[in-house]
Amino acid sequence: MTIRTNRDHGQHYRPRMACLKKLEAMVVEMQNPKGGVKSQEQRLVITTIPHAMTGQDIHAWIVNRLKFTAEEAQAFGTMLVAYGYLYPLQNHKKLVLKPDASLYRFQTPYFWPVQKWPADDTNYAIYLAKRNIRKKGVLEMYEQEHYNSLHKWMNHKWDFIVMQAKEQYRAGKERKKPDRVVFDCQERAYWIVHKPPPRTFSAMDYGLDRLIDPNEEEKKTIDYYRRIIIYIQQSIMRSRTKSTVSLGALVKFTTTYKNHDPFLAPCLPSNPWLTDDDSYWELNLPLVEIPTKMRVERWTFSFYELLNDPRGRTDFRVFLKKEFSGENLAFWEAAEELKWGTAESMKEKAQTIYKTFLAPGAPRWINIDQKTMDITVKGLVYPHRYVLDAAQTHIFMLMKKDTFGRYIKSPVFKDTQKKALSPQEHNFSDSQLEQNARNRRPGIHPILLHQQAEAEKAKVAATGGPVDIKQLRRFKAPLSHLALYSAPCPTGQDDGAWPPPSPIRSFSLSRGRHRRPPAPAPRGEYRSAAHRRRMTLCLHPSASPARDPAGGGRARHPARHSRTKARPRPKTIALFFQNGEDDSTESRFDLLDEECRDAAGVTRQEVICPWESATQQSYME
Amino acid sequence: MGKDECKTMLDALNKVTACYRHLVITLGSTSDSQNLREELKKTRKKAQELATANRTKLTALLKDKSISKDDRTEYERLWVLFSSSMELLDVDMKRSLEIGQDFPLKVPTRHLIQTGMTGSTTTVAARAMSVQNMKYEADSNIDTADLKELETEITQVGQMMEEMEMKVQVAPWAVEAKQEAGAELKSTLENVAGGGEGSAIPSAVLYASLTPGLLGALQQPPLPQHCPER
Repeated sequence: MTIRTNRDHGQHYRPRMACLKKLEAMVVEMQNPKGGVKSQEQRLVITTIPHAMTGQDIHAWIVNRLKFTAEEAQAFGTMLVAYGYLYPLQNHKKLVLKPDASLYRFQTPYFWPVQKWPADDTNYAIYLAKRNIRKKGVLEMYEQEHYNSLHKWMNHKWDFIVMQAKEQYRAGKERKKPDRVVFDCQERAYWIVHKPPPRTFSAMDYGLDRLIDPNEEEKKTIDYYRRIIIYIQQSIMRSRTKSTVSLGALVKFTTTYKNHDPFLAPCLPSNPWLTDDDSYWELNLPLVEIPTKMRVERWTFSFYELLNDPRGRTDFRVFLKKEFSGENLAFWEAAEELKWGTAESMKEKAQTIYKTFLAPGAPRWINIDQKTMDITVKGLVYPHRYVLDAAQTHIFMLMKKDTFGRYIKSPVFKDTQKKALSPQEHNFSDSQLEQNARNRRPGIHPILLHQQAEAEKAKVAATGGPVDIKQLRRFKAPLSHLALYSAPCPTGQDDGAWPPPSPIRSFSLSRGRHRRPPAPAPRGEYRSAAHRRRMTLCLHPSASPARDPAGGGRARHPARHSRTKARPRPKTIALFFQNGEDDSTESRFDLLDEECRDAAGVTRQEVICPWESATQQSYME
Repeated sequence: MGKDECKTMLDALNKVTACYRHLVITLGSTSDSQNLREELKKTRKKAQELATANRTKLTALLKDKSISKDDRTEYERLWVLFSSSMELLDVDMKRSLEIGQDFPLKVPTRHLIQTGMTGSTTTVAARAMSVQNMKYEADSNIDTADLKELETEITQVGQMMEEMEMKVQVAPWAVEAKQEAGAELKSTLENVAGGGEGSAIPSAVLYASLTPGLLGALQQPPLPQHCPER
């Protein structure tokens, strides 16, 4: 077994640009005096320089030679210019082939893009220094920035750079004037391709660096063959779907999304990459007030689309607020935050999530089945990133199957749909396009966008969510515990007139309006939904006089009673629907009577997570 | 003084490197010719001689343990100058090999790229060789024969650079430049001896830091509020 001595798993190599060799062959063909492109002279003020070509001629030659359509030939020509094999003589910053009378010239082979030789920073520094000399200290903004940063981190070579720049400048002066002009143009063109001005498209852009040098031929050793064999075995072992199924899915996807793809359908108002007009991006900002019609249409495709779009999510949140089931979405978002957050914050986040969503009697308790709840709570003892995955999936499916359908039919969504804009398509003339290119401004800085998103999140978190009444109805598991404990108290009460459902009665008595005691219910059990609802409606067990007899009966908690009195609460009118600006922790907390609270181990100050027992030491330390 | 000798030799090497680069840039274009190949060959040879001379001198100076600290920093700086020149030369030689192979001269129809440069490069080469006029005496198959030599020379240079790195313990990043930013704007016209070195330029950075501007751009006031109102 060979020991791999290469410990460097870093990716340093540019990906292969396979087109370069082919383009070179094409460019050489263009030089042919008989079959190549016609060349003319460029007349400058004092000199004339040969070997200039019009865009028209180049375009015609490409159409003829490669049997392309006009559009394709234009695209091909633009790629030639973008890669740096030709450079425009008039508008040197815009690297497109214009099939009209604008002039182009070939670039010298030294300045062609080569796979092996990426543009070097030392050379760029020398170029900037030379340009500095030539322009007597006036460089463009982005060049200035580069100059400063290169001066800073290449400081050790700076003497060399200055010396070399001066020497190259002087050596360049030895040539004749037309050659000097050409050389300057060439060098400038090279650096515009390889260090493009900001906010321009560059053909040299690529994604990530690769692990292997594409120029190197791999030696066919035993290791190599072993690797190939393993790869093939694994690909045989992979499970495959039937082609009918996968093709069907592909067809479905394409038919759904084909109008939304800017490559296939024109995007409204216009594609900013093509026309340099960024209204498309402005209209589609993450948290825009009025979304576009296309965006709203995408929300209907799947629930996942709706959630992924920040504007869609806000809309959904508004809807959920009206329906009082906001805790599902809140839990889903909290789970996402846990998944993507830092490792240090995970323990706290897990605790907050438990206290807010999962604990019995939690303010925003989510409705998941007991098995998932068990698994999750057990997992939260040692929280890791994916501990909430089961619960999150459950909630997601719940929202998708149930709430999403209702959302699509809801007035909230219909309203948004009606208000959505459909912008007019732009129709720029050529001169307008030039003007757009000249007037390119920086858009909103990503830092500002991020800050806006954070502010939005904070706002949402601050308002909290309204207490969800519907959820309370399904409050089976925790309340059954409470029912047990609110059974006749064993201690201290002699007179058997300890009214077992005193909690209920006290509630019903202390409510503002309905003084009728509830229907006689069996002791200690909450049966009817009506009971529960009425119980929960009362927000504050007010210190009303009607409570005193019940309070007096609770001899075992005299202190608490006084405590109750000491906390005078305003009588609130019991409303069936709340407006949701209350503090959810408080309201939910007070819903349960103090005894119930005590019994369930839920205190005012902290909800104790089940793993936080007497052990002081955290498992982390 | 060893320092002054070194400096003059390094200046010469610098000049030759710059001229070599100019020559390689014209390779493959319409100003390419027999003469150009010969000029390249001569310049290259000169560069190699200078390089070896510089190297021996500098290694001798740096190996000497009895020099003062200031001297040592100065020699390290010169060493960095030297190694950077060598890097440039190395790259240029490799490029000239590739381009020379792609654009042979001895074929019936030459496919030189019409770059617009038509003049000759004799003056540049003359500058490199420090002569008044260049003499051309090479035979007609210079391109192929020369390329073989070029390959051997490239390997030589590669070996020299490896030796340099192994033998001389100089940390290139620890060297501080004497020239400030924008030093090239001073004394551009003639080769003023020792110009720019040690000149007191008050501002450390030529272009005032752009970060205030960037921050100003970040705090763009006219930002429409996109937070939906509830």
